[in-house]
Amino acid sequence: MNERKSFFAPVKAWKYLLKKPVTIKKEDVFDNPREASDQYRGFHQNDWDKCIGCGTCASICPTNAISMVEIASLKIEDGKKNERPALDYGRCSFCALCVDICVSDSLKMTKEYVHLSKDIDSFYFIPDINGIHNTQEKQGYVRDETSELLDLERVKMAHEDVSRKNSFIEIVKGYSMEMALAESARCVECGICTATCPAHMNIPEYIRSIYENDLKGAVTHLYKTNPLSNVCGRICTHLCEGACSLAVRGEAISIRWLKRYIVDNTPIEDYEEAVLSFVTEPVNGKVGIVGSGPSGLSAAYYLRTLGYEVDVYEKRAIPGGVISYGGPEYRLPEASVQKDIGMIKKTGVNFITNTKVGTDITLEQLKEKYDAVFLGIGFSLSRPLNIPGSDHKNVEYAIPLLAETRDYLRGSSKMPDVHEKVVVIGGGNVAFDVARTLLRLQIEKYGKVNVAMASLENRDILPADLEELEEGEEEGIIGSFGYGPEEIVVENNKIVGLKVNKVISIFDEDKRFNPKYDKTDSYVIEATQVYISTGQMPEYDMITDDMKEKMEIVRGKIITGEYGQVENLPWLFAGGDIVRGPDIINGVANGHDSAYGIDLYLQSKNK
Amino acid sequence: MMNSMNNIMKQVDDVLNVLNKEVISNRQFAIDINKGDVHQALTYLKSIGFTQLSIITCVDLIADNKFQLIYILNNWELGLFVIVRTDIDRDNPSYVTVVNIFPGAKYYEREVHEFFGVTFEGNDSSFKPLLLEIWDDIPPLRKDFDPQVYSDRKFEKRDSDKIYRSKIGGVKL
Amino acid sequence: MKEVKLFLGPQHPGMHGNYSVQMYVDGDIVKKARPTPGFLHRGFEKLMERRLWMGNLALIPRICVVEPDINEMVYAQGIEMLAKVEIPEKAHWIRMMILEMARLAIHIMGLGGIGGPTGLYTLTYWAIAQRDLILDLFEEITGARVYHMYIVPGGVRKQLPDGILEKLSELLDELEVKIPEYRELGLKHPIIHKRLKDNIMLPEDVVWEVGITGIGMRSATNKEYDLRKVQPYARYDQVEFDVPVANYSDALTRVNIKYKEIFQSIRILRQVIEKMPKEGEVRTKISTGSALRWKVPAGMVYSAIESSRGEYGYFIVSDGKEMPYRIAVRGASYPQGLLGIEKYLVDCRIDDASLWMDTMGVCSPEIDR
Repeated sequence: MNERKSFFAPVKAWKYLLKKPVTIKKEDVFDNPREASDQYRGFHQNDWDKCIGCGTCASICPTNAISMVEIASLKIEDGKKNERPALDYGRCSFCALCVDICVSDSLKMTKEYVHLSKDIDSFYFIPDINGIHNTQEKQGYVRDETSELLDLERVKMAHEDVSRKNSFIEIVKGYSMEMALAESARCVECGICTATCPAHMNIPEYIRSIYENDLKGAVTHLYKTNPLSNVCGRICTHLCEGACSLAVRGEAISIRWLKRYIVDNTPIEDYEEAVLSFVTEPVNGKVGIVGSGPSGLSAAYYLRTLGYEVDVYEKRAIPGGVISYGGPEYRLPEASVQKDIGMIKKTGVNFITNTKVGTDITLEQLKEKYDAVFLGIGFSLSRPLNIPGSDHKNVEYAIPLLAETRDYLRGSSKMPDVHEKVVVIGGGNVAFDVARTLLRLQIEKYGKVNVAMASLENRDILPADLEELEEGEEEGIIGSFGYGPEEIVVENNKIVGLKVNKVISIFDEDKRFNPKYDKTDSYVIEATQVYISTGQMPEYDMITDDMKEKMEIVRGKIITGEYGQVENLPWLFAGGDIVRGPDIINGVANGHDSAYGIDLYLQSKNK
Repeated sequence: MMNSMNNIMKQVDDVLNVLNKEVISNRQFAIDINKGDVHQALTYLKSIGFTQLSIITCVDLIADNKFQLIYILNNWELGLFVIVRTDIDRDNPSYVTVVNIFPGAKYYEREVHEFFGVTFEGNDSSFKPLLLEIWDDIPPLRKDFDPQVYSDRKFEKRDSDKIYRSKIGGVKL
Repeated sequence: MKEVKLFLGPQHPGMHGNYSVQMYVDGDIVKKARPTPGFLHRGFEKLMERRLWMGNLALIPRICVVEPDINEMVYAQGIEMLAKVEIPEKAHWIRMMILEMARLAIHIMGLGGIGGPTGLYTLTYWAIAQRDLILDLFEEITGARVYHMYIVPGGVRKQLPDGILEKLSELLDELEVKIPEYRELGLKHPIIHKRLKDNIMLPEDVVWEVGITGIGMRSATNKEYDLRKVQPYARYDQVEFDVPVANYSDALTRVNIKYKEIFQSIRILRQVIEKMPKEGEVRTKISTGSALRWKVPAGMVYSAIESSRGEYGYFIVSDGKEMPYRIAVRGASYPQGLLGIEKYLVDCRIDDASLWMDTMGVCSPEIDR
């Protein structure tokens, strides 16, 4: 089968003597280099405006060539770090995995492939839009949907169908283990969420624990910064998800539902062990806490873990404040609330309920009794709305209704008096809580729904979450969004409806609240009862005038120094709604900070 | 193809003392063998057509304190691979060579010795170093060997805070 | 007469890669040979245990410079076997195309490489230029000339660029004209012919003793022992091709088989161009989540394919985590490059030593890893 040799065959190659060489000339290599192919993986290019500094490129880099460098001139904002990737081209293998996984689509590669320098440091390079040699127009390798390395779609959460409205059953069903593992695997561990979360929770760490199926470890991560994880796993405002780097191109990680997965699925022994593992030996110090809402509970837990003796004063029968009396049962089941409060009780915090500070005991007395006092009284009153007819006896407010309903469901109070036709004023989450609570009570009482809503903001700018609007309408709420209330129409001493006008604008040129109406587009929403949910405000009656003089209160909020310490009253710390406005996670964060501040204060005092 | 593999597996199961067998694909199966029976197994497998030794290697099962020796044989006629596995003690890893069955094992065993520290009785050359030069640490493919620590000990790190941006020699950050 | 110790490599024009053989010679006959690998040892197997499943993709092609795609293929195929993932039909065809292009590239280079140890460098220059045309296509398809990182677990990384099949077709036309000139210049060349014919024999029993696969095995056993036929992967069962065999293995036979295999690769590529599905996905996910957290189910698998030098395989162990637990690389030239040299380079002439390396298919990076 082998070839026979031939003396003349090789001579045929001589024809190439006359042909043009196929090689590139030496001078062309540098001066006129051949242009690379359209998806060439050359030096990088990074659009700094798009880049969010998440560092996912550095995480995937198989050669450790990418390090994140802090750029002082860039400012840190929610969802952005002031870091940008720097490449060590001595290490880079030009695999482009960094391009394929870039969450913001800012990192690309160019066709540039020649870089010669005697300066070894010049191979350590921070790419910007101009590439390495100002060659931005020659874009090479870019990511496409085939080479995508992220998982941009979140694992869908199952919800109860519309028949949920017949009871106060929890709407969101929660993740199964399989779903939670899949969802946790999407995380890129950039940690941008941690910066945005008011409590700076260790979000990437607990998501990693879920991914590794180490729920006890996950609970430990949760309780480092948040002792109300059951509550926050259900009704947190999840600012973290807004900052999530995956949300740049896709859907954010379901951080809140993952947190809920942890607290719902960790075996109770592991849970307790993790929670109590933080509690240290008792130290000599007593702290009084006014109000058992999120900030008070958080402060109480962390002070206990530091070893202080803690008494919490609560005016109502059950501790918890907004979490026991505010959030509706279908979002925040009683069991979850009680689990959080129960854990805090187990650490040894002493709750003194049915005791209103200011009436049953004064703040002065607390000052004498304790080494420090934390004030976390929250915004416990509804803000009144002054329109004609609002003084009618059938005008109700959000907070009392929600509290009464919780008590009714606990069996400790009678059913709130709900009329057959009601209207709710307000467009925030609380207004929807009210409307959907009313709707459930109506079904129970009358077997049918007649709940209307009116708010200044139209659908597009409604302050409430989109899911509240969607679910609420699905359940039968009739909304007049973008219609402001003019008066509550009263005939024969009975409310017959709410007159509304179309809103043209809410704020004037100076951005002050000053709604303008189109009086030609106006109608009356029929109702015999009106619920007002247009904001909350604090009740400062326990603070004596003497103290008030020493502190600064701006638009209802107390101005505090670092860690919530009131400047001229060093024994007094404040947090939660009365410092940062209503938001549970803010309260948790304040409580945590204040516990730290109280510890610092008491330690310095003992010296 | 699946049929001929099932036949072979059944045959193997009948003749050899197989602790455990696993179908990996329709052309590949694995058997676990007591460490005393491996030579018999390899001889038998060779006699039924697994005439080529593809590789001998080792897996460090550090959690069980075991080394798992892996012998992969190829049956060219039927197009089948068999993976023969046996566990040996990790603390004093030593085994008996198979060069008398597969002469090609000589260098594979030498490599396993160098990278895992398993000694092979009867293969004197296996004690000699092969790929690594002047190695001064524990065998490197063991799980308790950390290459980062080794590298930090042996090599200097880049020591410069210079970072360039855009045009070379232009902006230094 | 006194024995003299000679070093062939690691820096020697007749040696492919950084490999060394210590030869003890008497006159010009090798009396004892000791292979000395390790100059190129980069610890791939250890590094792979410390990289993500996806991250390893940047590493593995570097095990073999001239034919990097086989590494990507065995790695991807092994992971797909562990994860029990079925990849899209079109991806199979693209993979086959990439693998055959790589085989073309390395065979052409190998054919030209004969010029090195025999002193006919024209052949080598031709081969390098011809291979670059294939690399041009690789660059267009994958974005890189040498380390393609294109075959990924779950399929291939990107869709084929427009018009690439036409370009490939044109290139094949050109090669079909050009490659026969290699025969005219090289294989028929009286001097080369004389150097290769009846020289550097490989008897059948040595094949089985040492464990040589690939061209060496097929040239001595007269059997179609080619994994593409014996255990078809990708879509090799849907294309027609022959496996050249012989029952007399001298150096000339082995080079001739390599020459014939080039045309078989061209034949396969022509069928790929014709039969490849025009539409369709080219990639599926092997795991949920981002690539940082891909997991491969626990298990072990030996994934092997036919490289230009024979059976090339990865033994992959996963413990179900984000990184491999262990990967062992079976370099195709491991048997002949170590035991083969030690036992059968003996009695060879000094000037034939590098020819021996060349025609036996010894590739040092896959021995060293």
